[in-house]
Amino acid sequence: MTQLTRARIRDLMGQVLENQGRVLPDDDGADLREVGFRSLDFSELALRVEDETGQELNFDAPGLRRIATVGDVLDFLVELHRQ
Amino acid sequence: MSVAFARPAGVGNRVVVDGTTATWRDLPELALPAAPVAVLVHSARYALAAARHHAVHGGELLLSTPGRVDAMMRDELRDAGFTVAELGADAVGVDTAGGVDTGGTAAPAGFRPVERDRLWLLTSGSTGRPKRVGHTLASLTTVRGEQPARTWLCPYAPGTYAWWQVVTLSLTQPGQDLVVVEPEQFDDWPALAAAHGVDAASGTPTFWRRALHRDPVGLARVPLRQLTLGGEPVDQAILDRLREVFPTARISWIYASSEVGAAVVVHDGRAGFPVEWLDRTTPGRPTLGVRDGELVITSPYHGAGLDGPIRTGDRAQLVGDRVLISGRLDSDEINVGGSKISASGVRDVLTAHPRVAWARVTGRRAPLLGHMVVAEVVLTAADPATAAPDEAGLVRWCADRLPEYAVPRRIRVLTEIPVKETLKSDV
Repeated sequence: MTQLTRARIRDLMGQVLENQGRVLPDDDGADLREVGFRSLDFSELALRVEDETGQELNFDAPGLRRIATVGDVLDFLVELHRQ
Repeated sequence: MSVAFARPAGVGNRVVVDGTTATWRDLPELALPAAPVAVLVHSARYALAAARHHAVHGGELLLSTPGRVDAMMRDELRDAGFTVAELGADAVGVDTAGGVDTGGTAAPAGFRPVERDRLWLLTSGSTGRPKRVGHTLASLTTVRGEQPARTWLCPYAPGTYAWWQVVTLSLTQPGQDLVVVEPEQFDDWPALAAAHGVDAASGTPTFWRRALHRDPVGLARVPLRQLTLGGEPVDQAILDRLREVFPTARISWIYASSEVGAAVVVHDGRAGFPVEWLDRTTPGRPTLGVRDGELVITSPYHGAGLDGPIRTGDRAQLVGDRVLISGRLDSDEINVGGSKISASGVRDVLTAHPRVAWARVTGRRAPLLGHMVVAEVVLTAADPATAAPDEAGLVRWCADRLPEYAVPRRIRVLTEIPVKETLKSDV
């Protein structure tokens, strides 16, 4: 399985937003609502991570949590990816 | 109903198979095992010979290719009383001069009475394992009126419903010649067709898209006067592209299946059929209906035991003055976070892009939403007038035309249109 760094997942997140005509801010604390990063975008990002790693992510594993910022998304996916 | 044609009217028609030109009459005489027999043919020549044998001698026959009959299906056939025999190419036990050697056959598990003149077809298996559907030559012979003389291309796998449609036409109608495409000739069929003067051809939309994609110049050299599409949903884009190449030909699409036979034939160059055809009862013709978004057909050409209205499993939508048949209900609907998407509707948007030759749209498991819409596409050959779109460009094309949740977010570009033995992309 290909290991993805947090920076690479951030790149992928930037591509998702770019395809939607939006820009990913540098600040990991940026609020997802202000960025315009919604459930469709989150799901697309997950698929891109799966495509890069060749491994299906198990979203049941980490349990529910609040994801409100860009950093939350990256932390969540990094954690998920390591499991 | 009398079925076997003791002397089929078309036996003098020309048949081009294996690179040689002959007539139905010249095909090898077969001595098949006692019926019921399942004949698995390794070559088109023996498939045609088996069809003629059945037309002349009757009996109970299932005709297929070895690739469509796995070990489990062989056992099922033997359990159902069939002798399973292989014919042609390097198959063991073939002796066309003296009959089939029993060393190349598998005996039935038990014996049962023969259903005289019964022809069995295997469904394509689009809804699971292939099923046996009972027909006769008469129920498969749906073209009965006098036809203009034609040379037909037969690209279908032996034993499929579409194959029988072309074969019965040539066997029963004088003036209907046949040019058979063997699997190894599949990518170069336009050259074969042009060389033998093919002026009528029937194929799936995938078959036609592949020909347009691989060799549009070669395709245009085939002197086609009749083009027929069937076996998959037929959208306006493929009809329009074929019309550009063949501006004066008759372009028809047909809805037919092993279960209901040939039920809809449309010649006006438009996708779908007229709304006024719905629920119209005409003796000897199928009655078409739409129930809960599903095409329902009552047909005189149905398979054995399928009398009455048959739910086809195909989605039918009323759009303006037409009824559009867009795809299988069980695979066409994608649920994205509670919003229901028609995969075929998204596919039609993609194939309407001037640089998209083919598209397949599916649902892919995704977090939060359950599924997301994803797609695979094949682009047309390079065109200086329009730059090749990348994934982002195709996403934008769809975003301009579809609700947000229906836009495919992952679009993979393939180099070749995939096709199966059934000439379909998905089955």
